[in-house]
Amino acid sequence: MENNNVKTIRDFIEREKKSYASIESTVIPALHEAEGVYGWISPEAIEDISNYTGVSKAKIKGTATFYAMYKNKPMGRHLIQLCTNVVCMVMGSESLLSLLNERYELEPGGMTSDGRFSLVIMECIGACGTAPAMLVDADYYDNLNEKNIFEILDKYQ
Amino acid sequence: MIKVNIDGQEITLEKPMTILAAAQRAGIKIPTLCYDKQLEPFGGCRLCLVEIERVPKLMASCTVNVTDGMVVRTQTEKVKKARKAQLEFLLINHPLDCPVCDKAGECDLQDLVAQYGAHEGRFLEGKRKHPESFRDPIIVRNMERCITCTRCVRMCDGVQGAFAITVTGRGNHSFVEPFTGGEYKCEYCGNCLTVCPVGAIMSKLHRHSYRPWYVEKEIKTICGFCAVGCTLIAQTRGKDIIRTMPKHGLGINDGILCVRGRFGYDYRSGEGRITTPLIRKDSGELEPASWETAIDYAARRLADIKERHGVASIGGIGSGRCTNEDNYMLQKLIRYVIGSNNMDSSARFAFAPAQKYLERMFGQGVTANLIPGIANADGVIVFGGDPTAINPILGVQCRIARRKGAKVIVIGAPAGLKGFVDYKLEPVVGCEEVVLRAIVKGVVDKKGLSGENAYIENKIKKLMSPDDETIERVGVAVADIAKAVDNILKMKSPVVVIGPEAVHTSSASLNLFLLGVINYVLNGRIFLLSEKANYQGLLDMGCAPDVVPGGRPIELDIIEHKFQDLLGSKTPEEHGMNLYEMIDAAKNGKLKALYVMGDNPLFNYPDREHIEDAFNKIDFLIVQDISLNDTVKMADVVFPANSWLEKDGTFINLGRSLQRLRKALSMDGCWDDWKIVAEVAKKLGMKKSYESSKDVWEEIRKVSPLYRDVDYVGLDEQALTWPYMGEPIRGLEGDFKVEGLEQVLGNVAKGSDGFMGLTNPVLMLERPLFHSGSMSGMSKALLSIYGAPYFKISKTLALRYGFKEGDKVRVIMEKGEIDASAQIDVNMQDGVVYLSNIFEGVGYMGVVGYKVDAVVGSLVITNNNIVDIVRVED
Ligand code: SF4
Ligand code: SF4
Ligand code: SF4
Ligand code: FES
Repeated sequence: MENNNVKTIRDFIEREKKSYASIESTVIPALHEAEGVYGWISPEAIEDISNYTGVSKAKIKGTATFYAMYKNKPMGRHLIQLCTNVVCMVMGSESLLSLLNERYELEPGGMTSDGRFSLVIMECIGACGTAPAMLVDADYYDNLNEKNIFEILDKYQ
Repeated sequence: MIKVNIDGQEITLEKPMTILAAAQRAGIKIPTLCYDKQLEPFGGCRLCLVEIERVPKLMASCTVNVTDGMVVRTQTEKVKKARKAQLEFLLINHPLDCPVCDKAGECDLQDLVAQYGAHEGRFLEGKRKHPESFRDPIIVRNMERCITCTRCVRMCDGVQGAFAITVTGRGNHSFVEPFTGGEYKCEYCGNCLTVCPVGAIMSKLHRHSYRPWYVEKEIKTICGFCAVGCTLIAQTRGKDIIRTMPKHGLGINDGILCVRGRFGYDYRSGEGRITTPLIRKDSGELEPASWETAIDYAARRLADIKERHGVASIGGIGSGRCTNEDNYMLQKLIRYVIGSNNMDSSARFAFAPAQKYLERMFGQGVTANLIPGIANADGVIVFGGDPTAINPILGVQCRIARRKGAKVIVIGAPAGLKGFVDYKLEPVVGCEEVVLRAIVKGVVDKKGLSGENAYIENKIKKLMSPDDETIERVGVAVADIAKAVDNILKMKSPVVVIGPEAVHTSSASLNLFLLGVINYVLNGRIFLLSEKANYQGLLDMGCAPDVVPGGRPIELDIIEHKFQDLLGSKTPEEHGMNLYEMIDAAKNGKLKALYVMGDNPLFNYPDREHIEDAFNKIDFLIVQDISLNDTVKMADVVFPANSWLEKDGTFINLGRSLQRLRKALSMDGCWDDWKIVAEVAKKLGMKKSYESSKDVWEEIRKVSPLYRDVDYVGLDEQALTWPYMGEPIRGLEGDFKVEGLEQVLGNVAKGSDGFMGLTNPVLMLERPLFHSGSMSGMSKALLSIYGAPYFKISKTLALRYGFKEGDKVRVIMEKGEIDASAQIDVNMQDGVVYLSNIFEGVGYMGVVGYKVDAVVGSLVITNNNIVDIVRVED
C-alpha cells in the first residue's frame, strides 16, 4: 500500500544513494526532498526515510532538528520570511511584525489557523539598501511598508 | 613499545591507547562525564582535558591516543581552571535540584562540582525549562538535568541496538528524546539510565523512595528470568529490594541487562504470592497448615500410594525456574527414595529433545558455548525464534556481531533483528523448512563435504531442494536465497541460534538436521534458546526419565551401580515415563501421585481440557510454587517456595555455564525448594540431612565426576563452562533419524491444508520481550509495560474479519475460545495471529492441541488453525 509520497521519497533515495559513499549520507538530501513532499519534516517523512536508508528514526529526527532550516513543524501554504536584522529593523520591520500579528494572528515561528501563512524571522537577505525586505515562498519583495505588504500578501491565498 | 610521561610518572605501554586509559592504568585519576568504559568515546564534555607538552591547546584525554615520548600533565592550574569553567557552563542550565533528585549521592556532576567548586556561576540568564515526562511506564525523564553527554544514546545505539533515542535540537536547546517526542515505546532495557551520569533518565520504580546511601546490602546473583544467566547486583534495604543493577566487567551481560532483569524484581511481592503451606481438607477447600503437618501429610500419602499402587504410580516434574540443587533433590526423592524413574519437566517440549538430537549428531557438549563470544562471530544464523525477545542479552550479542561486521541471517520474521539483516527471508509461517532446505542445499553444493561424518553426509546427499517456483510460492525471493548462500559461505566462525519454534513443528527433525548441517560444514557454534533459566541444569541434574545426575545415561548406572555405593540406594531399573507419558498415564488412572515443583502444567502445557482431565484423575497432587496458580488450585498439598532472588544455589545457562546464585533476601513463610523436598524425603526414610544448598551441591559433586572439582568457593570467583574441568560422559553414538529429507513440503502439507496463510490463519505463540512466563507476570513493573493480553494481527486480517485496533475480539479455535483485544501490527504476515501465554485465563496453550514428534520427541502444536474471529461487545 504505497502512496505517492512514499514512492517519491523511495525513488529519490534509490537515485541519490549512488552519489554517496554511504547510504547514511543520503539522509540530508532526502530530508529536503521529504520536506517538499510533505510540506515539513513530518513523522511520516522521517519514517519513509528511515525505511529506505536503514538509519533509525530517532537519528533522522536528531539530524533534522539539528539544522535550523529544516521545517520541523507543519508549515502554512505560504512561507513569509521577514528580515529583522539591524537595517530592516530600523526601517520598520518590527511594526510590520505587529501588523502581521494583528491581521493574521501570526507570530514568528507560527502559522495562521487557516494554514495560509507561516512566518519566520530571518537574518539579512542582502537587501539593506531597500529595507525592509521579505521573501514569500521563493519570491523576493523590498521597500515594504504598512500598505504594500498586504497588497503583496493578498496575492498568496 | 610506547613511553609516556603522565604527571611525572613514566609509563610504558605495549599497545596504543588513549591518554585517559593510560592514566587510569597508572592509577592517575582524570575526571570524566561523557566517557563510559562500555561505550565508544565521544569527547563531548571536555572534563577530561589535559595539558600535553608542545601542544598549544588542552586536549580531551578520552579521545587522544598516547604517542611515544608524550609528556602529559593532568593537574595543572590551567587544566583545573578549564574544568571548572566547563562545569560552570554545564550549570547554566542544570537546575541544581539535588534535594529532589534520586541521583544525588551517586551523581557524577554533583561529585565533580563539589570537587572543582564551580557552584558560584556568573550567569544570570534564566535556566531552560522542560517539564518532567512521566509518559513512560518505568522511566521518568527530566531533561532539565540533561548535560547532553550522549551516553544514553551511545548505549541505546551502540550496545543495546534499539536506536530508540537521539539528541534533538542544537546547542543550548538540545536534549534527549525518542523519535515520537512522547513515549519511548522502546525495549525498556534501562541501560540508558544505567549510564546516565546525572538524574535525567531515572527509574520510576523507586522514585523518591531511594537514596544511594540507603542501600544496606549488595548481593551479586544471577537473573532468573531466562537462560542467558546475566549477573546482577541486587541492592536491598530491610526486607525490600531497592533495585537490581548490572555492573560493567561482571558476568555474561557485562554492564547491561534486559528489561526483565533490570525492572522485573518486584515479581516477588506480586499478586498471588503464597507464603504458607496449604492442605486440601475434606470440605474440598485448601486451608493453611503448618510446615510440619503439611510435610507429614505429603509423606504419608506418598508412602500410602507407593504401597498400594507401586512406585510406577508416582512421578515428579522438575522446574527450569529452580536451581540445580532443587532439581537434584526432587529427582533424588522420586528416583532414590521412592524408587521411580518417572521424572521429567517441561524442558521435554523443546529444549531437551533438541539438545539430545544435536548431541546425537555432534556428541555431548555441542551447545556448550560462551554467549559473549557471539559478538565476535563473523556470521549469525537465526531460526525458530527471536533471540532479542526470548534471550534478550543473547539477542544484543547478535546485534553487536552485526555492528562489528558479521552478516546476520534470520529465517522467519526478523522481529528484534529487523534493521540488522540485509534481506528478508520470511516465508509463510509453517514453510520455514523450504527456505532452510534451499539454503543448506546451496551451501553444501558449493562448499562440498569433508567426509568427516558419514552419518551426516549420507543424509545430506538425499536432501531434496525445493524448486524456484516453490520458493517464490512460500514468499521468498530466489535471489535472496542465493545471497544468503553466498554470505554463509563466507562465514568462518558462524553462530547458529536455534529457537523453540524449530521443533514445535512436524519438521522438527528436518529443521534440526539442516541447522546441524550448517554447523557441520562451517564449523559453527550452536546456541539453543531457552526461556527458563535452568533447563540445562535440570537435565544435568537427572530430571529426565533416562538420565541420572551428571547427564549420565541411566542404562550405564543400572549396570555399574555407582549411585548405589554413594547414595545407599539403587538406580531403579524400571523404565520411567516422560512428561507426555505421565500425562497420559494420569488420564488412564495409572499415575496416582504427582509432585510438581515450580511449574504450572494447567496453564503452561497445551490442551487445557486434556491436562485438566488428567490432573483430575490424580489421587494426590503436591504442588510447590511461588504463586497461587491454576495447578496450585487443584493440589492436595501446596508448599510455598522461595524464588530465585531468595535462593542460594546454582543455575546452568543455555551455553552450559554453571553460575552461582546468592540469596538477596528471604521471604517470610517460604522455604527453598530443595529443603521442602528433602524434608518430605526424610519422612520417607532418607537418612541424609542438609544444612544448606551447599551441602546438596557437595553431594552432587560426589555422585557426578563432572562436577568433582567445582565448589561454591570457586564458583564465587568465576562461572565455569561444561565440562567443568571434570570428566565428560561418553556421548551417544551411532546413527540418527531425519524425517522428510526427500520430500519438500511433505510435512507442511500433512500438517495443515496446504500453504498456511492461504487458508485460515493459524494461532501462534507470542514470546514477548517484556515477559518470560507467569513469574514475570507477577511483576507490576513489567505489567505496566505489557499488562493485558492481546492478539497481534496483520492489517489485512483485521480488515477481513472486520475489526480495528483495540477492538475486543473472540478467536474461536477447535479447542476453545479466547477473548482479548486486537493489536494491529503492520510488520506481520497475514497468515498468523499471535497470542502470549502470560495472563491467567487468556493463555495460548490452553486452546491448542499437541502431538509428539516421532523422531525428535518434541512437542508439536496441533489444532492451531483459527476457526473464526468475531468482534465482541465489551
Ligand atoms: S530503555 Fe533501552 S531501548 Fe529504551 S531508550 Fe533506553 S537504552 Fe534504548
Ligand atoms: S539523558 Fe543523561 S546520559 Fe543522556 S545525554 Fe542527557 S545526561 Fe547524558
Ligand atoms: S531475562 Fe535473560 S537476558 Fe534478561 S537480564 Fe535476565 S538473564 Fe539476562
Ligand atoms: S570524558 Fe573526555 S570529553 Fe567527556
